[in-house]
Amino acid sequence: MPTLLRRAAVALVVTLMPLAWTSSVRAAGDVVIGAVFPLTGNAAQVGIDARAALETEAEIINGHHDMPMLLGAGGGLAQLGGAHVRLVFADSQNNPQTARAEAERLITQDHVAAIIGSYTSATAATISQVTERYQVPYISADNSSPSLTERGLHWIFRTSPTDVMFTGAMFEFMQAIGERTGHKAASVALIYEDSIFGSDSAAVQRKDAAAAGIRVAADIRYRANSPSLSTEVERLHAADADVLLPSSYTSDAILLMRAMHESGYAPRAIIAQDAGFVQQSFLDAVGPLAEGVMSRSAFALDATRARPAIAPVNALFHARAGKDLNDLTSRDITALQVLADAIGRAGTTQPEKLRAALAATRIDGAQTIMPWRGVAFDDKGQNSEADPVIQQIQGGTWHTVFPFAVATAAPVWNVGK
Amino acid sequence: MTPVLLLQVMALGLLTGLVYALVAAGLSLIFGLMDVVNFAHGQFLMLAMYAAFAVHAASGVGVALELPLVVLLLFVLGVATYRGLIARALGVATNRGMVQIFVTFGLGIFLTGAAQFVFGGDFRSIGDGMLANRSLILHGLHLPLAQVAAAVVCLLAFAALALISRTEFGRALAATREDREAVALIGIDRNRIFALGWGLGCAAVGVAGVMLVQFYYVSPNVGADFALIAYVTVALGGFGSLLGALVAGILIGEVEALTALLLEPSLKQVGMFAIYLAVLMLRPRGLFGRL
Amino acid sequence: MAKLPDNAILRRRRRELAAGGAVLLALAVLPLPIADVYTQNLIIMALLFAGLAQAWNILGGYCGQISLGHALYFGIGGYVSTLLFLRAGLPPSLGMFAGGLAAGAAALLVGWPCFRLSGHYYAIATLVVAQIAYLLALNWDFIGGATGLYVPFHAESWGDLAFRTTKRPFHYIALAFAAAAWFAGYLIEGSRWGYAWRAMRDDPVAARSLAVRLLPSKMAAASISGGLAGIGGAIFAQYVGYIDPDSVMSLQLSILIALPAVIGGVGTLWGPLLGAAVQVPISEVSRSWLGGAGRGSDLMIYGALIVTVALLRPAGLASLLRPARRPPPAAEARNANAA
Repeated sequence: MPTLLRRAAVALVVTLMPLAWTSSVRAAGDVVIGAVFPLTGNAAQVGIDARAALETEAEIINGHHDMPMLLGAGGGLAQLGGAHVRLVFADSQNNPQTARAEAERLITQDHVAAIIGSYTSATAATISQVTERYQVPYISADNSSPSLTERGLHWIFRTSPTDVMFTGAMFEFMQAIGERTGHKAASVALIYEDSIFGSDSAAVQRKDAAAAGIRVAADIRYRANSPSLSTEVERLHAADADVLLPSSYTSDAILLMRAMHESGYAPRAIIAQDAGFVQQSFLDAVGPLAEGVMSRSAFALDATRARPAIAPVNALFHARAGKDLNDLTSRDITALQVLADAIGRAGTTQPEKLRAALAATRIDGAQTIMPWRGVAFDDKGQNSEADPVIQQIQGGTWHTVFPFAVATAAPVWNVGK
Repeated sequence: MTPVLLLQVMALGLLTGLVYALVAAGLSLIFGLMDVVNFAHGQFLMLAMYAAFAVHAASGVGVALELPLVVLLLFVLGVATYRGLIARALGVATNRGMVQIFVTFGLGIFLTGAAQFVFGGDFRSIGDGMLANRSLILHGLHLPLAQVAAAVVCLLAFAALALISRTEFGRALAATREDREAVALIGIDRNRIFALGWGLGCAAVGVAGVMLVQFYYVSPNVGADFALIAYVTVALGGFGSLLGALVAGILIGEVEALTALLLEPSLKQVGMFAIYLAVLMLRPRGLFGRL
Repeated sequence: MAKLPDNAILRRRRRELAAGGAVLLALAVLPLPIADVYTQNLIIMALLFAGLAQAWNILGGYCGQISLGHALYFGIGGYVSTLLFLRAGLPPSLGMFAGGLAAGAAALLVGWPCFRLSGHYYAIATLVVAQIAYLLALNWDFIGGATGLYVPFHAESWGDLAFRTTKRPFHYIALAFAAAAWFAGYLIEGSRWGYAWRAMRDDPVAARSLAVRLLPSKMAAASISGGLAGIGGAIFAQYVGYIDPDSVMSLQLSILIALPAVIGGVGTLWGPLLGAAVQVPISEVSRSWLGGAGRGSDLMIYGALIVTVALLRPAGLASLLRPARRPPPAAEARNANAA
């Protein structure tokens, strides 16, 4: 009887041990990388797509696909004897507390060499605090809130542009197109959701507009995921600015476009702060209504001539996710590429050496799928060579229209008409 | 601000408010009948929207087919929920109030997960429906056709619910509500009435879901925001009052729209919540509540 | 309710206290053999939610006022202590009591008008008040607005409740919090108010006549409950190092605060602790296990579990601890009337 009892107790302990489920069995020599994204909740689709993107890049690094880009030859990380990259995913639920706990779990239990994340800025805020304390690199693939790299953290490296860089590109474009056509934008209207993404974006836009001498005709902060945006649209309609600058996630972007159409309001130009406007589900939902919408982007799917890797990488991703690469998924791929390159050059996952290798990153843009000059981090960990582009939906697909040097189509600019 | 703008915004507030009213009507009906607040109400709405979306994608026929199919489905779902869960929750010996809250709350979480499992997390919408992206223009007012249709159907649904309450079944509903013990004596099966009440309440949500998805997107979490508004609507109108749900829905739609127009759009829900609290301070049982 | 002889009550109370001491001791040595950070985090969150649920239980369980807005008090505590730290340099070890006071005062402000409402009207009113506060916080730039507030990390210090990677100090902070909430519940259970509330809960007719007379005691329950939740919010803010309206004031959080008490047993001394010990690990484990798949299966399991527990154990898991007792006659009569 006592043995039975003891056995029962042991069984109980084993099943209840929260450790039991993360038996991190590691194949010898694998480089383990953590990824924290929202996999459930309102932003779930972004995380699910990010997962497909990161898995695509891992497949490129580990396999033999011979992509014309850095690490495209495959066969694992040569400097580590062909070690494979292995990804461990965690669900942040788009909740800062959960993101923090999951980052800690990845570091302490899965012993990841670095963490990639995380889509929303609030989760990046806590993940970067954890990586700072544990001294593990955090590669911010797609968080654009400027404050992240302004907090004096040593272990954060952001490959993608910030809202400041993105918004800067939007105003540069307005300036350039105004000069080219003779129809300058005299006023803009801001409409942005009330979470951290929209508020940060609008703050930068307000500043840039003031600097460019452009009047802000409407400044509308709306409640995210509202059942209706029609009143907000009526206010925009009444303000009737030259250029509408929306910052919205997918759900609100769909609602906004439909409400504008229904109220008979057609802004002369829309330049979106990315996010919802570049999601496939947005295009599916609003179809022809989206014609002519512009967005800043870190990625240009049509830049295939300058970036020969885009087509084959996109094909590989499409096979996995059933959709084309977009602004977010392309940045996820690049983040893992940059990280893998640094691990290779460090020759180890030892944190200090990896950090030094990341800081010394020098990648030419042509070696990536991005239209950037390249990847090189400044002393705050921000990639200073990530030049955004402006794209426009023409004929149902995105075309790069600015900078003019890399443009694949001429912008349709209705201001002044 | 021009008078046209004000009128336009108020018209849109009315259209939105009627949808709120119908979502709330189902909740109110169930509560009035048996003192149960369905905390999975938003998820039922979400399911109705997905079902309509699926019917649309499969057939392409439009609202005429989506309405009867989805309403039937939701009716069955409502009856099944009552028989499978609620009847049990009402039968527990202690803590009945808590148990029913958390049973329906848990059901809501389950349904959200199930929707994500089946449909994925992406936003879906009917972009090519008959009603999509068209507007009625009346004296300079732009009225989205899909929302006008939704408002009309909502009014019809209210009329139908009012008619049902005059039938024999409706009298049985009322009798059961008044005195649960006495009805047994005159041969009314209380359980059957409750089950039908759940079916009816969910069918109302089904109507709302079908009409909503004609102009709104659907995702696994879409129900949450509508549900919150529905709870406020029901409490504002008075739990159990059909007329209360209608009046409160319209009131909330208008207050929301006018707050967004005249004050701060990001505070529009504060406007409607504040009205709700103000009314509750004057009438602790809502506008038309007897319970 | 059958009246127990005084010394029997006294004996039972003494037994409860002894059991409380034993559990406290066990929880105090619990972290010593656990080296793994993730499990430590799990235990800390469970303790924190045990304390929060007990805070909720004081108002929602003993006093019978089902609040769906406790995230308001949690958020006020978190924001007040964090802002005092950021703007006035007050160390959070003191600031958390300021946060608790502010939250307790807010609970009085909410309670005064809302206690006139009954049943579901009260529950939805608390939900609405919390939602208003959440929306205002989101729009109020002085407290960080939607961007939220970062808690800066200078050096490890008990005064600042700041520790680099070690979790053990937070284990004891959370344990102290849970123990304080438990003890508050213990005192209330034995107090005159406790008896009056139970009588009110069990006998709706008496309740109506008692309702007016009981208002002051309800207000006291609200302020204790809200104040404790505020202290919990302040601890949470220090622990996570970042707060924004979504993570400390959302409707979902209000539910999460109430849930352990319901799973464990509403209006019982041990329910909240038991409920948190079950609920927090289950939600974490189902996410860590299944959440990575991004298919929603974690939500399905979590939801199904809540339904199952609520149906199979309507009096909560705490009812497993003692043999089934007949419900008090008044409650029995009410059930027969309604069922």
